Amino acid sequence: MGVPVSQMWTVASYVLGQRLRGNKRYPLVLMLEPLFRCNLACAGCGKIQYPAHILKRQLTPEQCFQAVEECGAPIVSIPGGEPLMHPQIDEIVRGLVERRKYIYLCTNALLLEEKLDLFEPSKYLTFSVHMDGPRKEHDFAVCRMGTYDVAVSAIKKAIGRGFRVTTNTTLFEGAEPEKIRGFFDEMMKLGVEGMMVSPGYSYPKAPDQDHFLHRNQTTQLFSMIFRNPKKHWRFNQSPLFIRFLMGKEEFECTPWGNPTYNIFGWQKPCYLLQEGYAKTFQELLETTDWENYGTPSRNSKCAHCMVHSGYEPTAVDRAFSSLSGFMKTAKASVLGGF
Amino acid sequence: MSLLDDIDRAFDYRGDVTVVLYNGERIEGYLYNRVHDARPTPYIEMFPTDEPMPVTIPVDQIARIEFTGKDMAAGRSWEAWLKKVQKATAEGKVAEMYPELLD
Repeated sequence: MGVPVSQMWTVASYVLGQRLRGNKRYPLVLMLEPLFRCNLACAGCGKIQYPAHILKRQLTPEQCFQAVEECGAPIVSIPGGEPLMHPQIDEIVRGLVERRKYIYLCTNALLLEEKLDLFEPSKYLTFSVHMDGPRKEHDFAVCRMGTYDVAVSAIKKAIGRGFRVTTNTTLFEGAEPEKIRGFFDEMMKLGVEGMMVSPGYSYPKAPDQDHFLHRNQTTQLFSMIFRNPKKHWRFNQSPLFIRFLMGKEEFECTPWGNPTYNIFGWQKPCYLLQEGYAKTFQELLETTDWENYGTPSRNSKCAHCMVHSGYEPTAVDRAFSSLSGFMKTAKASVLGGF
Repeated sequence: MSLLDDIDRAFDYRGDVTVVLYNGERIEGYLYNRVHDARPTPYIEMFPTDEPMPVTIPVDQIARIEFTGKDMAAGRSWEAWLKKVQKATAEGKVAEMYPELLD
């Protein structure tokens, strides 16, 4: 496992506390989007297609802290846009570290080397570097040549300076299992703490609707990738989620598990679908028609979705709510394999 | 098409719109939220192009919505990217995509 014990303990005690209090709907990871600006223009991305005056706007550090406190999740993921383009990102990160939140700052790493001096290594701060596969595939996916090499250089520098670094990989239709396995080897050679992987998903506002994976394609692809997983691979995510991607677990989506906050407010119902906004986290919980989402709802927008923002919280909850879930998680963590 | 349908279209649109009120006022900006079941009055929320804060507009004050801004998702499809790559390769060049300049 790539997740440090202190972080596992924080998450485990948080989840058990929620369950003991009888909370059926609780957040696990806050997806804090401080801005939508980005220095890449990936064809598959639906997060940055806004008019210029929207792209120029950003959350203030105070707005970020208020959202974090309102939500209460132990983990804060900072995607975007490219968060390193936020002029106060160091202040935001410092404030979250002071609040003892485990932060995953998601970055394409194009600015990471330049901005590294703004940050101090901490067990609470992880740079989660966006790497969509081997060099050729990654550069093609992000529509810019040379980004893989820039990211690799930044990863090495950040690790050398004592930062926690993980990779975050989204796989699309056409991904080749053997190449992805080789890519995992390369990332582990760089010395990253762990890797995260998820299938991409076609959400309504993404301009690319056609090269995302369908559910059966996802399970086939991940079964091939994780057949005989190598001992030195480490993943910074729940083993149960990987089993789910392989088709070995049946999960339902937990859309409230990774709530999203950005300049528009609290996004309904999840990180990918944008069906409206609430002014407070409580309002999000109380006014979203949760039964309209996930596979049991037969909502066509959710039919093929298996992304980590919806299903990783389910996997984590399952690990602490059933003996079999706990045993499978423990076995994978200790012995490896899924 | 009804005003509520236009509001839903504007909500899904990745560009600015102009909201024309019954009093003649025109507000241009990005419509990011609409609450059809709000009581006592349904409303929309938008960031006007030249204002720092969002505004809330009751639906019963809206005469019509005009789609006046560029669709920022247009031309950003995977197919468009593949065509660009094919064209660049044929010309012996390297294809890339860049974000639009903000200023």
